[in-house]
Amino acid sequence: MPDAGPSPTRALRLGVAGPVGTGKSSLIGMLCRELGDTLELGVVTNDIYTDEDARMLRAAGVLDPARIRAVETGACPHTAIRDDVSANLLAVEDLEADFAPLDLVLVESGGDNLTATFSPALVDAQVFVLDVAGGGDVVRKGGPGISRADLLVVNKTDLAPHVGVDAGLMARQGREARDGRPVIALSRTDRASVTALTSWVLGLLEEHRTGVHSPVDPGPMAPHSHADGTSHTHGGTGAHEH
Amino acid sequence: MVAHPELAAMVLADGRLPVGGHTQSSGLEPALLGGLAEGDAPALLRTRLRTVVRVEAGTAVVARHHVLAGLPLGDVQAAWAARTPSEVSRAASVAVGRGQRRLALRLWPGSAAGSALEELPAPARPVAVGAMAAAAGLDPAGTARLVAYDDAQTLSADATIWLLDAAPDLEEAVAAVAHLTEPRAIPAPAAPLLEQWQHHHPTHPRRLFSA
Repeated sequence: MPDAGPSPTRALRLGVAGPVGTGKSSLIGMLCRELGDTLELGVVTNDIYTDEDARMLRAAGVLDPARIRAVETGACPHTAIRDDVSANLLAVEDLEADFAPLDLVLVESGGDNLTATFSPALVDAQVFVLDVAGGGDVVRKGGPGISRADLLVVNKTDLAPHVGVDAGLMARQGREARDGRPVIALSRTDRASVTALTSWVLGLLEEHRTGVHSPVDPGPMAPHSHADGTSHTHGGTGAHEH
Repeated sequence: MVAHPELAAMVLADGRLPVGGHTQSSGLEPALLGGLAEGDAPALLRTRLRTVVRVEAGTAVVARHHVLAGLPLGDVQAAWAARTPSEVSRAASVAVGRGQRRLALRLWPGSAAGSALEELPAPARPVAVGAMAAAAGLDPAGTARLVAYDDAQTLSADATIWLLDAAPDLEEAVAAVAHLTEPRAIPAPAAPLLEQWQHHHPTHPRRLFSA
């Protein structure tokens, strides 16, 4: 269900998606550290059946623990960010009500596969996170998040020499796959890349506030299979049970 | 939104209704992890229809009546809570109830159901469903059947035959609550083992569902 359009008082809702282990939680921690002094922030994490990511972020001490909420997504993490966003929307709305006015709410998807993207009913914009350790060919393989998320992050570029991946080539292939949409090759040890990320977020926030930004749906999920051997597609509007 | 009550019932009973229900298994996962043998799942279904479902369906029927009679839902919620002793079970129900409420306020803004739910920010699932049933034009038996079906179909998603086999028990549950109007008349049968399984579920290390 699409929400009412952005109002000047509503926070920018930014989704962070990407496969397991690519650094989604670390990226959110980084944004909290870099922007927490100047912006009013909130964070919603998604895990299948724990609040592990929320606890990790609270323990990192980068944000008031009360501003970090965990949503348990059950067996199907992409359902909670795409097909039935109710639980996440309630968590976002609770945060916005409890700490009004917030500037930015970061929603971290549960680690899923290359095809999971956020519904525009939940977030205004989304970052898709890959890392060099996942292999240089991942960008070429593509997917809706890689091609059409508002920002593609190629993370952990400092690891590239150790895993035999050309981080520059990976970022270049990302730009080719994205028709000019932005790509940031990120490393927490590369200050310039961190600044590029925060500048992108601040620019987006400005566009959101001035009403210039329109949420874009990266597209439906590709057909996918589950561990029980079943395969299926997801319809354009329908949610589903697994 | 005005739809034929039968169509509205189908929509409300659809597992794809966007209210966050996909995180729950009607107590099946807690039961299996708690020691229920797989072959006993139909018995679990029948037990729920005699216990938990009567509380839930009775709550929904009375909530529907309260909305239509212009009475507040607080008493109904309190009666439901008194019959649902585990705070874990109550929290799981409210998690979906809030999703139901959110959807109801979007579908029927300004209705009697909407006004009643506005005053109750964290309704239990059956309280919210009862209010939605009032807005959608479901009769009391249809409301009870909706709750019973929702519980049973979640539990037997992979074994529709169990659901059809349980149809007589389901109709008994409907008949037991369809005439209720008073919160204190909501049945209060207990299923202590089911409650215990559910109560310990959140700390189980290898679960996929929240309830």
